[in-house]
This record gives sequence, structure tokens and C-alpha cells, in this order.
Amino acid sequence: MNERLMEYAAGTLTPAERATVDAHLAGCDGCRADLAAWAGIAAAADPDVTPPGPALIRRVLARSVLSPVVPPARGGSGPNIDLVRAELRLLRVRVLVASAFVMALGVVLAVVQGGGAGDVLALVAPVVAAAGVSGVYGPRHDPAFEVVAATPTAQRLILLIRLTLVFGYDLILALAASAVVALLGGSVAGIWALVVAWLGPMALLSALSLLLVVWFGPDLAIGAALTLWSLRALSGSVLAQAGWLVDLTGVVWSTNLVTGLVAGVLTVAAVIVAGRGEPVRHSRATYLT
Amino acid sequence: MGTDEVDAALLGLVARGDSAALTRLYEAHSGRLFGYLLRLAGDRGVAEEILQDTMLAVWRSAGSYAGGARVTTWLFGVARRQAHNRLRNVAPPVPAEAVDRPDGTPGPDELAIAAAGGTPVAEAIGRLPDHQRDVIGLVFVAGLPLADAAEVLGVPVGTVKSRLHHARARLAQLLSRQGVPE
Repeated sequence: MNERLMEYAAGTLTPAERATVDAHLAGCDGCRADLAAWAGIAAAADPDVTPPGPALIRRVLARSVLSPVVPPARGGSGPNIDLVRAELRLLRVRVLVASAFVMALGVVLAVVQGGGAGDVLALVAPVVAAAGVSGVYGPRHDPAFEVVAATPTAQRLILLIRLTLVFGYDLILALAASAVVALLGGSVAGIWALVVAWLGPMALLSALSLLLVVWFGPDLAIGAALTLWSLRALSGSVLAQAGWLVDLTGVVWSTNLVTGLVAGVLTVAAVIVAGRGEPVRHSRATYLT
Repeated sequence: MGTDEVDAALLGLVARGDSAALTRLYEAHSGRLFGYLLRLAGDRGVAEEILQDTMLAVWRSAGSYAGGARVTTWLFGVARRQAHNRLRNVAPPVPAEAVDRPDGTPGPDELAIAAAGGTPVAEAIGRLPDHQRDVIGLVFVAGLPLADAAEVLGVPVGTVKSRLHHARARLAQLLSRQGVPE
């Protein structure tokens, strides 16, 4: 009964329960005193104030609009598909079409060339990928750069997604090109020999281009990639006398553990640099006259 | 439709972004919520801020109401969490220990109570430890049944009862020290 008294004082008993307690109280002085104590607390506890009016809700709704919601942390549910889809829309169609066109040209040359099909693809695929990668970052080439800089999503994550999309696209192009060349009988050693010819240099040149675009911007990235590319292209003819240069480009232009590791290190460095802000800009908005 | 069903329907509308439903839900519960928060905070301004926090949390997370508990229980759970968020780093407005005054003349506290029109019992409730004020607020101010108060606090019903008894004993102690009969 003692426990019912606090609920009686709080007014939370059902009518039937109240009646039972009332019947007991009539004949029990101790419980009546006990109830009086609880009732005293209940009466004193209630501040008996008027709450703020519905205007409070208007303030709440205003706050809801003005103050940002902390985005809930995503559990380790794998890649964020929405983000990948959104970045897919930002890929420039012109670049994709141009890449495919250059690669198709490479296929034609490789088939016509016959024996040196691997060499042709090894020249075409890396420069296509490096040029594509040079467009993934920076205020001048990225239509969403300002928006990306202002969102809570990490710049590095976005860079990685774009890199994956662009490099993945070029990789598929190069694989398709190799398959076509192999099918048309351009390579006696089969498709794998063709892939080995371009895979290492493609990864290395793309990684270098990525680091440079993140650090200094797209001009230097394309410039450096093209310089390396021309050294390789000319090493068979004009530069044939400079033996060390031919050796060096031979090392760079191959698929092995070293080129893979260097490409990985350059990519990691680029991702680290990407979180630190915009590329270095040396040009001024206005020129002094 | 009972009040619980009305509340659940309103909360469903709030979850879909109906601000009028939020106002109706607020009007139905503002008195009890505000009284409870005032008991916890001890200050009208702070209680009003926590009430705003609470309604903002309701507005944003109405969709997370699973329907297991009564809406009132859920609401007071939200209010309690918001109060703890805001009061965590705030020093209590009054000292937890009553100051002994051997001469029996009214001290500044008593004068302040008299000026505010409060009773010594109400003032003594303000001096109770947080967990005892919390349970008194839920049972006597919010008017939650003991089982619901237990659910809000996340403790067994037996603990709610024992906390109420401890609070009452503590109140008697505080009041007798001040020479006020219970």
C-alpha cells in the first residue's frame, strides 16, 4: 500500500486503483500521514509556471534551418555509392571521348605496325591516362571545386574517387585496345605481353601527373608527363646516341615492382597533399602595369 | 482515439516534416516538459533553452521513434538527454548542502525564497542531489507512472521507488535543519 501512495499523490493511478487506496485510507492513520507527506512533496515539486508559448516552436524551426545537422557517421558499409554516382556526373564527356579517340588511333597504328604493337600501345596508353588524371583536381578545371571545398566530405576521398573513375576508364580503354590488337593479330606473344608493355608506364606517368596537378596545377602535370613521354618516344631515333637516357627511359617504361612501388608512393603523396588546400598559383588575378 | 494514439499520430506527421503537428505536440506537453526541465535546471532561462533543444531534437529525430514506448515516455527521455547535454558543464545553481545557521534568523536564501513566493519545501527540493530531483520531476511534475519514469531513467521500477523514498528522507533532513516541520 505504501508504494501506491506516491502514485496516488502524483495522480497517476487509475480510478479503480484510487478507489482501492481510498477504501484503505479511511481506516489507516499511518497511511493518511504518509500520503500527506507525499502530497506535500508533489505540491511543492510542481513549479506551477506557464510554459513558453507556441512561439518557441517558431524559434526551433528557425534554428533547425540555420544550424547545421552533424551528419551521422557512416558505418563501414563499403563505398559510398551516391558519392561515386555524383562524381561520375562531373567527368567531362569531351575528355572521355578524346581519350577513346586517341586510344583508337593507337590501335590502328599498332595493327598497321605489326611487330612493334606493344611499343605503340606503350606510348599511347600512358599519355592518355596521364592527361586524363591531370584534370581531376584544381580550381581551374573542376566545375565543382568551390562546392567540394565547402562540403564536409574530405577532399582526399573525392580525389580518390575521381582518380579511380578516370584511371579506371583509361585502364578499361587500354585493355580493350590490347584485346582488339591481339585479336587482329598485331601481337604474336598474345594480349598479356601487350598489357605488360603499357601497364607500368601508365601507372607511373599517371601517378606523377596526379602529384603534380595536386601540387602545382594541371599545366605542369601535363607538361611533365609530355616531356617524359617525348624522351621515350625519341629515345629510339634522335636521342639514340645518349645511351644513359635510353637506359633510364627503359627502366621507367617497363612493368615491374619498382615502377609499381614508385607509382604507389607518388599516389599516396598526392592524396596527402590534396588535403592541404589549393594548388600553388603563381599567376595574379590582375597584372601590374 | 486515446491521447497516446493522438500523440503517436502527431509524431508520425512530425517525422514527415509537418511543423503544425510539432506545434500541436508541443502545446499538448509543454506544461509538463517545462515543469520537469525547470526542476532539473533550477532556472527559467536555462529550462527554456533546454526546452528548445528538446523540441529541435524531436523535430529532427521524430523518425527514430520506434513505437515501443508511449510517446510521452519518449519525449521525456529526449528532454532528459538534452538537459544532461546542457547541464553537464554547468555548476549547480544552489549548493547541494544546506548552510547551517545557528541563530535561526532568515539568511539570504530564505529571503530570496520569500521574495520569489516559493515554499521552503520547493526550495529544499532544489537542493536535492541531481538523481533525486530527476525522479521527483518525472513522477510528481511530469506525472509519469512509475513504470514510465523507470523507462526514461533506464532503471528498474524498484529503483525509482527507493530513490523517491531517499529523496523524501533527505527533504525531511534538509527541512528539519532549517527548523521547518515537514
